[in-house]
Amino acid sequence: MTENQKTFSGGEPVIRLIGLGETGVKLVETLAMIGPEGVESHSLDTDNRSLSRCHQSKTLLLGQAIPCGLGTGGDVALARAAVESDRDRLAKLVEGANLVFVIAGMGGGTGTRAASLVACLAKESGALVVGVAATPFDCEGTRRCNQATGGLRDLKQASDVVFHFSNQDVVQMTGADTSLNNALEIANRHLCESVLGVSRMLLEPGLLNVSFGDLQSAVQGRQSLGSVIHVEGSGEDRAATAVEKMLAHPAARGGEALQEASAILVHLSGGEQLSLAEMNKVTEEIKQHASAVDLVVGASGPGRDEALQVTVVIAHQVKLTEVEPDLSASIESQSSEVANVSFTETFMPSGETSYVGLGEDSGGSRRGGFAYTPPAPTSEAITPELKDSLIEAAARQESDRKKRKKITQEMLPLEIVSKGRFEKSEPTIHKGEDLDQPTYIRRGMVLN
Amino acid sequence: MSDTQIIVGLEIGTSKVCVAVGEVSDNQVVNIIGLGQSKSRGVRKGEIVDASLVEEDVRNAIVEAEHMADVEIRSVFLGVSGSHMRGFNNTGVHPVVSADREITDADIQDVIKNAKAINLPSDHSVVHVIRQHFRVDGQDGVLNPEGMLGAKIEVDVHVVSGRYNRLQNPIRLVSGLHLEVDNIAFNGLASSLALLSTEQKELGTLVIDLGAGTTEYAIYSAGVIKHTGVLAVGGDHVSNDLAYGLKVPLGRAEQLKIDHGSAIIDPEANNRSVDLSTDSVIPGKKINLGHLQMIMSMRLQETFELIAKDIEQAGLIDYLRAGVVLCGGGARTPYITRLARDVFNLPAAIGRSSTVSGIKNALDEPEFATPVGLIKFGAFQSQTTPRREGFGRVIRKQFASLFGGKK
Repeated sequence: MTENQKTFSGGEPVIRLIGLGETGVKLVETLAMIGPEGVESHSLDTDNRSLSRCHQSKTLLLGQAIPCGLGTGGDVALARAAVESDRDRLAKLVEGANLVFVIAGMGGGTGTRAASLVACLAKESGALVVGVAATPFDCEGTRRCNQATGGLRDLKQASDVVFHFSNQDVVQMTGADTSLNNALEIANRHLCESVLGVSRMLLEPGLLNVSFGDLQSAVQGRQSLGSVIHVEGSGEDRAATAVEKMLAHPAARGGEALQEASAILVHLSGGEQLSLAEMNKVTEEIKQHASAVDLVVGASGPGRDEALQVTVVIAHQVKLTEVEPDLSASIESQSSEVANVSFTETFMPSGETSYVGLGEDSGGSRRGGFAYTPPAPTSEAITPELKDSLIEAAARQESDRKKRKKITQEMLPLEIVSKGRFEKSEPTIHKGEDLDQPTYIRRGMVLN
Repeated sequence: MSDTQIIVGLEIGTSKVCVAVGEVSDNQVVNIIGLGQSKSRGVRKGEIVDASLVEEDVRNAIVEAEHMADVEIRSVFLGVSGSHMRGFNNTGVHPVVSADREITDADIQDVIKNAKAINLPSDHSVVHVIRQHFRVDGQDGVLNPEGMLGAKIEVDVHVVSGRYNRLQNPIRLVSGLHLEVDNIAFNGLASSLALLSTEQKELGTLVIDLGAGTTEYAIYSAGVIKHTGVLAVGGDHVSNDLAYGLKVPLGRAEQLKIDHGSAIIDPEANNRSVDLSTDSVIPGKKINLGHLQMIMSMRLQETFELIAKDIEQAGLIDYLRAGVVLCGGGARTPYITRLARDVFNLPAAIGRSSTVSGIKNALDEPEFATPVGLIKFGAFQSQTTPRREGFGRVIRKQFASLFGGKK
């Protein structure tokens, strides 16, 4: 991770939003419209139609040669082939960024497969990678849900932290009567809030700064699920309102999420009126739920409106139950593939040179290297045989990958802090500290 | 000595149930004539978790005390504790309305009544309302305003409150044993009554009762109680820390604590170890004495620091000119006074029940401070409310009791 410690060129961290697949593209479009300045947005898809609707962000059509801009139709193997064919362009896209948000809807083809690969590339280039993922409604079918679970897992392994929002949660939150439009809007809003909250935290000039380093130390290398809570409180007792909203937020799960957190970043922005008491109120409430946690508090100064905006980034510890047995094996295989296996070499049928070259031969005009949104290649650019062989090879690669997964033993946590005889008694909580735990452990003394 | 009265103090502690029987003569001299104790098995952190076990333990202790004192115990003063108890100060105000502005006894009763009108959470009830000082038209430090002239009379009181249901548990249990509960008292208050002399109360003293399940503390200054508090941390926590840190069973940890414990870390101890190779449960185990002392010292130090912080917040740390007095089982820990001295920056000593006479044993042991103090509390009570009336009293009334500061 040493290469991650590189310095920012312009003082501000370079933040890039990369939306993948239809959902991802939509979200990035929204974010590009409302997002803070100094954030670059890129929309990537295999479907030309969805990219044609983009106006705010830079677009890039993935896999010009294979799905020919028609989308993958949920075919993961196809998506994989498409993404790997554009590996170099993607690598260039993430180059030089300090923080990359990989935003995708899980369950389809492009978003599911491309997200983890882009995250991997971004990680290699030395950026801090934050995945933002939406998973489908239960009613969208088992295949889609399974695909989403797999995609989320892969993304989790490739990124530093993943903020995940399940559409199914919306149903639980608002009831099944909500209109579909409304439900999707709520889901999108939550995802947007995560990204906006984090980028605002990093970019807004602060009285107390939450720096890029704070975020990095909180999430880096955890490969875990995290959540962002962004709430606003206004009116007379805006701190109380904000705290109330914070705890009612679905991502807080009634404070449970705070308890399980291993690191929490809090950022408040409330204009000139932001008082110490308000700050205290918010942090105290968080401390109540999460006593022993790494808490970083930031506040930004004037320039904001009347409302108090609170952004809480929660990084969870990897729960034992969530750790897939094949975690380490698959991440190894995945990264090694990305690093060593060049798609062009492996899958290029003999006799041909490259797809770009193919396009050139037939189309006659040069497509201009890595330009964004090039027109879809003409149908002659790729012969049906070539297409089939590419898909097949990608599919083979996919199943090979699965075979290589080894069953590894689950790790027990290093030290289980037991409360011994006080396990079942009412805990003695004093200022957020559980006094039933041995003092020497809470104070970090080591018995040598 | 013809008209003596028997008063019994009962403390249901986390490690032991303790009964003290006292003989109180007309002139308020307390003489301890009996003691009874039994191991407590159904209490955690000062509160009952297994009523049937506690019932048995209380019965055993009572029987032992009855034998020793050769009396029949009919009623007891019961000590209560637990993390739910709170101590705070309150002020009552009353305008003097009489034409000549002379303060009458009725005015005093009214102002105290006002001070008792506290906004407590609905499930809390008052255990003590202790009069501190009166103020007449802003004149501070008036001990007895009766007969003085003034337009406004104020009184500062110290209130100890606790959760009603949790206070009722031990009361109901004792009542179930066909014993009348004369009154209840906060353990921290009771032990301070037993240990402190009038001079110490005047100068300002902090009393810390280091129990097994809870640690109670009370602060006296200028002759009156200023602050009380309770932490649900005690000797059990020390044993538990040791059991966890040294990886030995809890019972063994308890024994190690008693045999080798220390409140401060001896630099020599790191090279020494305790051999448990003869132990049948954990054969061949050696325990580093340095680790044992460190674990123990950190816990005790933290407990003291929490108290120190609380006192500092209450702004009372500068009023403790007579230092710190320790009692309870935890006071037996070697070098505990040195630790207390270091944390509080005040002289510290282990308390003795100097203000009562009787069985030497009961007075010297720091563990017996609470039951002895309960007897003193009882003696004050029966002085302010004559015993004759006491028979028909209902438990409900006892919460609103007033314990006068004058002797």
